[in-house]
Amino acid sequence: MNIAHASRPSPRTRIFLVTAVLTVLSMLTSPARAIPPFLENEPVTEVIVSAPYVDVHTGPGRGYPVFHVVEFGQTLKLIKRRTGWVKIETGRGKQGWVRISDLDRLETQSGETIAIRQPDARDFRASRVHLGFSTGQFGGASTLGLTLGYRFTANLSAEVRATQAVGDYSNSQTFQVAAKHQPFPDWKISPYFAMGAGINSTAPNATIIAAEDRNDTAMLAAVGASMYLSRRFVLRAEYTNHYLLTSREENQEVNEWKLGIDVFF
Amino acid sequence: METGNRRLFLAAAGFLTTLLAPAAFADDTIEDIIAPDIERREIREANIDSENFEVSLLGGIMNIEDFGSNGVTSLSINYHLSEDFFVEAAYGMTDMAESSYERLSGSAPLMTDEERELSYYSASLGYNFLPGEFFAGSDYAFNSTFYLLGGVGNTLFANEKHFTFNLGAGLRLLPTDWISVRLEFRDHIFEHDLFGETIRTNNLSAQLGASIYF
Repeated sequence: MNIAHASRPSPRTRIFLVTAVLTVLSMLTSPARAIPPFLENEPVTEVIVSAPYVDVHTGPGRGYPVFHVVEFGQTLKLIKRRTGWVKIETGRGKQGWVRISDLDRLETQSGETIAIRQPDARDFRASRVHLGFSTGQFGGASTLGLTLGYRFTANLSAEVRATQAVGDYSNSQTFQVAAKHQPFPDWKISPYFAMGAGINSTAPNATIIAAEDRNDTAMLAAVGASMYLSRRFVLRAEYTNHYLLTSREENQEVNEWKLGIDVFF
Repeated sequence: METGNRRLFLAAAGFLTTLLAPAAFADDTIEDIIAPDIERREIREANIDSENFEVSLLGGIMNIEDFGSNGVTSLSINYHLSEDFFVEAAYGMTDMAESSYERLSGSAPLMTDEERELSYYSASLGYNFLPGEFFAGSDYAFNSTFYLLGGVGNTLFANEKHFTFNLGAGLRLLPTDWISVRLEFRDHIFEHDLFGETIRTNNLSAQLGASIYF
């Protein structure tokens, strides 16, 4: 192998570099923790109320009138839930909605305690898939973004990102795949780093200038933070540096800021 | 060449090992060594089907500023976060008629037929308030709720995308608890420069539709 050959960065070297960086990333917080298992239980439909009484509303909301009351010791059938409410049927066939927080004392026929759990931070930590919506600024243009992510370990995830930017002079679309690393997944505000690559296509507004559409490779490096809000929602803020490998004289750097909501499943 | 291949393979293997190795050891817990002396309460979780998603199909009239009022159809998916808030992703389509200028001047149309097809998509946050009931005769009472909506999105107007804000209000009527009838009014606000200078347009829509919860 001669020196001239070795000094030229080949595609393989690039792959090597990317792999090396990823390896370092995943080792930074070693040992990487596995995602805690999700609780699965057999469905329970018949329960006995062990609270003194529970109000039954006509609809799933605090504003809907109370038309019935179930008392201590009564049997209830749990039908379905919507947001923080459960639809129940009493032994006499009356159907109505009760607040989940009012059903904190329930038992089965055999005396086991039953809990109706709302999704919380534990579910968030156990979740694997998330879908995110965001809005922000991409080099001066307003953006809308969509993210689909999959978490391999508590620290490491892969994401597919699509961003639509609408500016005064041009519109652009970016599709990227990124690896995301969260060094401290248990923190309330948890920072993360991401890097990835994809394509960016820019179309200048026809009413202003007649120019051709451009398709460029777009690399990204991002820093952000996410915070668990409630139920299935996470607030997320991110700064991304996009590096567009253009066919022109110079490559282009675009800065993006965004704020969004992730829904986890 | 041979060395390059080997190095690449090594790097990939190294990366995979760091990913997989900690997972393999994660099952070893400290419980085997120290038995906790705590009396545990048996708690089972009720596993009930939840209905927090709502899919709606709506139709009505949308007025595109300067281009008349035309039929509009839209599809939306809502996720109910709580009894108060919901998020909505919507997509709608309408056509644009000729502007007054095009009709009066008798000159060539400003846009092609393709450019007259307008579509929009948006992501919005909704707030349910004023829950109530509608009474049909003396036997039936239907639950209802009035809601406010606001969000951001894109509008494809004259083959150009325009960043769009939307604001609206609507009424949901629930004949049963898994079907709802929606009546909705919305303003889609975006700026365009089709006439030379940038103008902000208010485009109002009135739509009626039905949704299913699942």
